[in-house]
Amino acid sequence: MTAQTVPGPRPSALLAARYARALDIAVVVAAAGWQLAGAGPLLLAHLGSYSSDRFQVAAWCAITLIIAAGSVLLLRGSSRRGTGWALAAAAGVISTAAAAACPPAQMLETNWSWGTAGWVGVLVLLRRPLAELGVFLTLEALATFAVLARDGLHQPNVAAFITVLAGSTGIQVAISVAARTLHVPAQQAADAATREAEATARQAVADRIRAGRRARWLELRATAEPLLRGLAAGTTDPGNPAVQRACAVEAARLRRLFAEGDDTPDPLLHELHACADVAQRRGVAVDIETTAQSTGTGLPGSALPAVPPEARRAITDLAIAILVNAISRVRVTVTGTADGVIVSLVSDSPAQPDLPASPAGLVVDSQRDQQSLWVEARWNTT
Amino acid sequence: MEHHVRVAIVDDHPVVVEGVMSWIRADPGHRIAVTQVVADVTGLDGPHAADVLILDLELGGRMIADEVARLAASGYRIVAFSAHVDPALILDVLDAGAHAYVSKDEGRDHLLEAVLAAAADRPCVTRSQAKAILADPRPGRPALSGKERQALLLWFQGMSKASVARRMSISEHTVRQYIDRARVKYATLGRPAHTKDALLARAIEDGLIQPGEVATYTTFASRPRPALS
Repeated sequence: MTAQTVPGPRPSALLAARYARALDIAVVVAAAGWQLAGAGPLLLAHLGSYSSDRFQVAAWCAITLIIAAGSVLLLRGSSRRGTGWALAAAAGVISTAAAAACPPAQMLETNWSWGTAGWVGVLVLLRRPLAELGVFLTLEALATFAVLARDGLHQPNVAAFITVLAGSTGIQVAISVAARTLHVPAQQAADAATREAEATARQAVADRIRAGRRARWLELRATAEPLLRGLAAGTTDPGNPAVQRACAVEAARLRRLFAEGDDTPDPLLHELHACADVAQRRGVAVDIETTAQSTGTGLPGSALPAVPPEARRAITDLAIAILVNAISRVRVTVTGTADGVIVSLVSDSPAQPDLPASPAGLVVDSQRDQQSLWVEARWNTT
Repeated sequence: MEHHVRVAIVDDHPVVVEGVMSWIRADPGHRIAVTQVVADVTGLDGPHAADVLILDLELGGRMIADEVARLAASGYRIVAFSAHVDPALILDVLDAGAHAYVSKDEGRDHLLEAVLAAAADRPCVTRSQAKAILADPRPGRPALSGKERQALLLWFQGMSKASVARRMSISEHTVRQYIDRARVKYATLGRPAHTKDALLARAIEDGLIQPGEVATYTTFASRPRPALS
């Protein structure tokens, strides 16, 4: 059996999340940076010229809170339309109110809030389609233009509006487009890194399986090779029943070797089936029954405890010795107990087969009654 | 036995029926006579016409395990003869009042024995039944002694009862007693049925259990039983 080496969470998800996070952090820094280093000093410079300084400062603080909330949501991966738009709408309303409360003739010079609201939109609508940000920025510009129109439209005024619009909104749209465009190569880089990680893991598993197979093959060669050499050279008589039995044993071991590499929920049972195959080909009726002695827990007694490979080896060696000597019938039973497994074989074997030496941890018993041979191996976890 | 045991067979596979008939014909004592063969339970003449019913649990592709209780209540002694070996099904069918459960794999060795035991209201434990009893996970299951469990396990493993006796250093008669006692304890589980009472009465008559023990069993039976899937 080979252990699984691939870790639980998918590497592609981890890598993609890491790239996306870097972009998110960049947008958070831009929005917060504008609010603190751009809008903040602008507000401070014009304190005293507003109709109410306290209102402007309160509005600035409110938008700072909205940016903080939007940053937390973005970094936590929230992409819900409702919350994003609620925050954007709040920022839009506050910023329009702050613009309306600016001194009428100097609105564009003293208004700190227009650009800030745009950055909030970039931040909270980053996971939404670009069109939604477009709608928000347009509404925000129209609202600001409405405030400007309330004070009376004249040419320098409109020109200044267009300049500010191009400066702030242009940058915001550009960053949003860049962030969404960068997402594609980021995903590609993540996918490439994932494929590499998977290939490495597969290679490691394959190496380990190959090493295990090679070790088992070398072990088999020690017994199978002399037999095959003898048959090929004609020094061993294939008509000799002892040689035939030896061949059957090696065939069963080979089948077990193949079965050992399989990934099954119950390897012991799987390997016993593989060993039985050789006897069945000889016309021996083999039935394999399993049961689990109830422990009174109310749980169905079906799961067998996991038997380690060495003990499985010893048990199947024993089974092979019985199976190759049986004449017509073998009943194999596997019984799960509270602390281990009992494997028994009842067969009609005329000769007492040589039972392989049982290793520590395995208790082997046998009893012969006329033609019937009963052999039992008990393996305990303790 | 002086007279024939009359048997009705319910099975929708002619090959299986033919096999059962051939086993019955091959019985050296000719102890069994088949009175009726039907492919469906609705065609049965009634319990007065047969001592034992050999009942296939799957007819026309449909499981009829839930018919066992009704048939047992109407007076049939039932030997379930099925290709299924699921322990939960075996326990359910015994609870419903079947006398014995014989899987089709073990039919040749045990079907006639089970029919004769049922006709005499005596217990019969096949290896598939032993397996189901050993693995019974229900909290309300009867308490079995260590010897009873050991005898059941060796029997399940495939030993003959004589071999089990040698292994446990007891007589074959005692081995039979251990295994039969385990079965009789199950006659107190599930819904009451005439067949179960007959099994218990016969067990007391045979000295397999003491009359006093039945009281304990009855208490067991009256406990609420967890639902089985």
